[in-house]
Amino acid sequence: MSSGFGTIPKTAPFSEEDVDLLNRVVGPATPVQRAWLSGFLAGVESVTGGAAAAAQPAAPARPAEPLTIIFASESGNSEKLAGDVAKASRKLGFKPAVVDMADLDLATLKTAKRLVVIAATWGEGEPPGRATRVYKELMGEGAPRLDGVEYGVLALGDTAYAEFCAIGKAIDERLAALGAKRVVDRVDCDLDFAEPAGEWIGNALKALAPPDAGRGQGNGQVIAVDFGGKPAGSPNTDVVEAEVTEHVNLNSSRSNKETVHLALSFDGAAPAYNPGDSLDLYPQNDPAYVDDLLKISGLSGDEALRNDLLTARDVTTLSAKTVETYAASTGDQSVKKLIAGAGVRDWIAGRQLIDLLAAFPTTIDAGKLRALTRPLAPRAYSIASARSEVGDEAHLLISAVRYDSHGRARKGVASNYVAERLKKGDRVRVKLKPNKHFALPAPDKDIIMVGPGTGVAPFRAFVQERRATEATGKSWLFFGDRTFTHDFLYQLDWQDALKDGVLTRMDVAFSRDRPEKVYVQHKIWERRRELVEWLDNGALFYVCGDAKSMAKDVHATLTRAYADVKDLTPEAAEQAVATLDREKRYLQDVY
Amino acid sequence: MADDELSRNEHIKDASNFLRGTLAEGLQDEITGAITEDDQQLVKFHGMYLQDDRDLRPERGRKKMEKAFAFMIRVRIPGGVLTPQQWLALDQVARDYGNGTMRLTTRQTVQLHGIIKSNLKSTLKEIDTVLLNTIAACGDVNRNVMCNPNPFQSRAHAAAQDLAKAVSDHLLPQTPAYREIWLDGERVAGGEAEVEEPIYGKTYLPRKFKVVVAVPPSNDVDIFAHDLGFIAILDDKGEVAGWNVTVGGGMGMTHGETDTYPRTADVMGYSSTKDAVAIAEAVVTVQRDWGDRKSRKHARLKYTIEDRGLDAFRSEVERRSGVALAPAKPYTFTSTGDRYGWTQGDDGRGHLTLFIQNGRIHDIPGAAQQTVLRNIAQAHDGDIRITPNQNLIIANVPTEKQWEIEALARAAGMLAPWSGLRRNSMACVALPTCGLALAESERYLPDLMTALDERLAAHGLSADDIVIRMTGCPNGCARPYLAEIGLVGKGPGRYNLYLGAAFDGSRLSKLYAEDLEHDGIVGALDPIFGAYAAERERGERFGDFTIRAGFVAKTGNGADFHANVGRKASHVAAE
Ligand code: SRM
Ligand SMILES: Cc1cc2nc3c(=O)[nH]c(=O)nc-3n(C[C@H](O)[C@H](O)[C@H](O)COP(=O)(O)OP(=O)(O)OC[C@H]3O[C@@H](n4cnc5c(N)ncnc54)[C@H](O)[C@@H]3O)c2cc1C
Ligand SMILES: Cc1cc2nc3c(=O)[nH]c(=O)nc-3n(C[C@H](O)[C@H](O)[C@H](O)COP(=O)(O)O)c2cc1C
Ligand code: SF4
Repeated sequence: MSSGFGTIPKTAPFSEEDVDLLNRVVGPATPVQRAWLSGFLAGVESVTGGAAAAAQPAAPARPAEPLTIIFASESGNSEKLAGDVAKASRKLGFKPAVVDMADLDLATLKTAKRLVVIAATWGEGEPPGRATRVYKELMGEGAPRLDGVEYGVLALGDTAYAEFCAIGKAIDERLAALGAKRVVDRVDCDLDFAEPAGEWIGNALKALAPPDAGRGQGNGQVIAVDFGGKPAGSPNTDVVEAEVTEHVNLNSSRSNKETVHLALSFDGAAPAYNPGDSLDLYPQNDPAYVDDLLKISGLSGDEALRNDLLTARDVTTLSAKTVETYAASTGDQSVKKLIAGAGVRDWIAGRQLIDLLAAFPTTIDAGKLRALTRPLAPRAYSIASARSEVGDEAHLLISAVRYDSHGRARKGVASNYVAERLKKGDRVRVKLKPNKHFALPAPDKDIIMVGPGTGVAPFRAFVQERRATEATGKSWLFFGDRTFTHDFLYQLDWQDALKDGVLTRMDVAFSRDRPEKVYVQHKIWERRRELVEWLDNGALFYVCGDAKSMAKDVHATLTRAYADVKDLTPEAAEQAVATLDREKRYLQDVY
Repeated sequence: MADDELSRNEHIKDASNFLRGTLAEGLQDEITGAITEDDQQLVKFHGMYLQDDRDLRPERGRKKMEKAFAFMIRVRIPGGVLTPQQWLALDQVARDYGNGTMRLTTRQTVQLHGIIKSNLKSTLKEIDTVLLNTIAACGDVNRNVMCNPNPFQSRAHAAAQDLAKAVSDHLLPQTPAYREIWLDGERVAGGEAEVEEPIYGKTYLPRKFKVVVAVPPSNDVDIFAHDLGFIAILDDKGEVAGWNVTVGGGMGMTHGETDTYPRTADVMGYSSTKDAVAIAEAVVTVQRDWGDRKSRKHARLKYTIEDRGLDAFRSEVERRSGVALAPAKPYTFTSTGDRYGWTQGDDGRGHLTLFIQNGRIHDIPGAAQQTVLRNIAQAHDGDIRITPNQNLIIANVPTEKQWEIEALARAAGMLAPWSGLRRNSMACVALPTCGLALAESERYLPDLMTALDERLAAHGLSADDIVIRMTGCPNGCARPYLAEIGLVGKGPGRYNLYLGAAFDGSRLSKLYAEDLEHDGIVGALDPIFGAYAAERERGERFGDFTIRAGFVAKTGNGADFHANVGRKASHVAAE
């Protein structure tokens, strides 16, 4: 065993005895054993997170390279990847610091020498809600110069959206414009991001690594240690099966909407969800649609393919990428023209894969058809129940998405899988999607909940939890839908909650009960005095539901409310609301 | 009488502070479509009923929703006369806030259904802008005053309409509660003062009270079905000389409770026009003080008169009014139905009576009646009148406009050549809105009618006027006991069949058969139609025939209604 090399120095943050003890083990250890140890220690930190990160990471004798990892995330994917980066980077001798863009202090950015940004795009090409404020600062004149900063950006997105990975792209360009040096090219990930993201992380860390990185650690090797699943305490986020124990359309038979209340029960314990969390639900495609698709492609009768498309492939989404793949694989001239004419973007709007095959029919084989699809992604649904009240069940509130476009009746895949095909007694696959950024505060805090339509789902969980915990804080719910008589979701539940005081007050807005339309933001405006008073007294403001218009209108209305009630300038009012956001008292879960 | 003996409603009225109750507060609660039970009683005085869509009841609980509550509002329209502007306003609120349809009632008003609580104030404000309101359209007060609406005897009719209006105004509740609660009117100071209701007092009447004015020979208002009536007595110039006064009519009863019964009013005497309003007030105050406030089933004037006797009642009315009634004058009624098509007034203006099946105004495939009536109202500068038979008169149409309006109406099937039976048919609302309905009525009668028309045609009776009326329960909202053929709901799909009432509305019918379902009804009537076609005497009416031919016994008055009911053996033998 080679001389003193690798023995623990007296300077190590250990007591004399510990150093001796450790040396007795590490000293004679074989390179393999040392590699294993360093892997072990690195692993432990990445799991125990911050605390460990503060302490000195594994093995390396020389001080570790600081690495700033920023994530802009709504539903947690970017956040999780940020964690992976930290984990991997430590093994390479970095000292990672993971920062939620929502909490980022831009000024500190210029001091970061090495920077990784993982950003998702939401809405129609917008930043994740929480990240919006800092994102705006970054894009604005106020942003600091970043000369000398080395960086790489990983973008998360969904090719189904026209503004694919818009935010990742924008941040990538902005950092460069601010003088930072891009050392690794951006990768734009689709919903199935695991592989490309993993690859990118490897490359990024290599590119960001200091020249001498890797040396000094058991001959540069690190053995990844499998800790046997998740660290203790974190909930089960595996895909699990559940049985449908209740399936009711909550809209009246006179309503032109269909919103399904779905009760799921699990074999054994329900995933340890908290109010505010969601479930990812794994849908199946509409057999009728798949059969049409196969017919049009002349592939009817291929059972294997049919099964695969039904259960595993996204056969509806049509992206520019798909059109290109189609053009390439079929060599169809008119499709090529379509692309050349740069009209693709407009053409695919409101269209689905089936429209492409119908508009440009060619003979195509199973492989090529499959290549036009991506994996069928699960859909998230806010959990509408609290375990403290329903035990090992979970309730979902799912609105059937139906619309016409380009002369075809369209049906949302997951929502209609649930509304039209899932029946009581059926089994369905789900996966817990924790959302610690949309959780209940301490029981003595007041809460204001704005949840029109299915946006009310998590607030049913909130109310159930607050009943069970006998919370002392006041609670105020704003709900809205089309008509009072036919679309008042969970009306009896709210009446009970008001009776037993769990709900302090409730305001409703129904848009089709009278000639003039009334929405939740109108009610918020009507009640602005009390509302601002609640907020002044420390209430938290939750918004859930439609991102396209509702969330924006509510935000704008709250700002106007501040301006009016406290008689502030528009700017000052903006600031007041921004402060709520900074204090994590303006919380959104919008989609 | 001791308080605890008083009916619940008496306590509610007493505590209501002149019909305010907690209505204003109840409107604030947006999470339920209902109001408190006490307020449900009080809101009737304001012309509204809390109802729920009974079709939806089975699914509501499962869907975690309360009952599908909504209000029915009833407008007060003395004599049923509306301006085209008022018609258009009602049509508009029906579509903006109601279930889209309008419902002409058997008492010449318009009902709107399906108005949710949060829309009540907007609705009443809209209605108020065309000088209409719903005050006292329901409740224990004088209801909408009816009056023969067909102005073809222009001068006599004008006098009748004036009396109807005068009585209506005089008996209107004085409490400002309506204006306060629904129109955001000022709360008037001293709102508690008794003087608010000089005629009614703070507990109003023991029960609903109904007044009508008739112009012979037409008895379209069914004068004998109401608490108080005035029969115009014309002089040889066709002017109104004075009025015969009738009291104590009513329809409502309860299945299986023979101490409840329909009753035809008595003619109490003759009054001059100038004394008529004083007489009306006296009749109301005597009933206010003599009427039964313990049992609501026994509280109508008809029972007061049965209990006290007509003479005692008359002299008390004379004492209070200071008017001595003269002996009644002779009069003749010929029918209770409407005169369809055109009638020309003495003043040369035309009046077009349209058939509206069961008074329901809506656009149905092939007959856009609501739209057409809207167009007519826009083109029309006379007035629009609701008849006591749930029909409509486009009145006072100048000659040059007549063809245009007739063409519009004809296109919407409102002048179709219906059978004599259908032309004389009425059905109450019943399901799905009426909370008391035991069986379908408005939604079922048209189908039954089609089956009966087919039988009548077989017997060659299609053209004969025969009065048929159906109600979903024994309350008698379509006055079924005064119809030659009366069908009264007993349970889902089951009806009691009444026969033998007089065509002119002067005699009640008699129970002929119980619990008949569709086929049973047709099967029971078919042989009687056959016998009528074969055996009737010249001009003999169907109702009179069923008695002469011995199908049913003749009904006298009061409790006799329940005596020797059922198929008469005599005729069965003769068959
Ligand atoms: C709309 C109408 C029937 C129609 O199809 O046109 C009607 C509809 C109702 N009547 Fe009536 N009545 C209507 C004329 C009558 C008549 C006929 C008449 O007055 O010429 C009668 C029989 C005459 C009489 O009063 O005796 C009548 C006797 C009743 C009764 C029994 C009263 C009694 O003392 O026996 C009730 C139940 C009650 O008052 O407790 C009742 C109660 C009702 C209610 C409000 C049910 C309720 O109390 O919850 C019905 C509302 C149904 C709905 O959904 O619209 N309705 N009701 C008529 C409206 C008249 C108006 O515009 O003011
Ligand atoms: C965190 C989170 C929580 C959620 N919670 C809930 C919830 O509690 N309840 C709930 O119902 N949903 C919820 N959703 C939305 C849900 O995940 C699905 O997006 C929704 O059910 C639609 O999925 P689908 O498979 O039925 O439709 P898809 O097959 O995914 O189709 C949806 C797509 O169809 C297109 N489209 C939709 N409407 C139109 C239109 N009118 N015109 C043109 N194109 C249109 C759009 O491209 C849209 O993206 C949540 C989403 C997130 C991210
Ligand atoms: C409501 C909604 C809107 C979205 N809008 C976009 C978009 O405009 N462009 C895009 O590329 N991806 C869009 N996405 C896809 C997300 O960026 C993708 O799901 C990503 O993995 C989410 O990452 P996160 O969990 O870190 O927020 C959207 C997703 C949802 C649910
Ligand atoms: S008769 Fe009975 S069922 Fe018909 S409307 Fe009147 S109360 Fe209702």
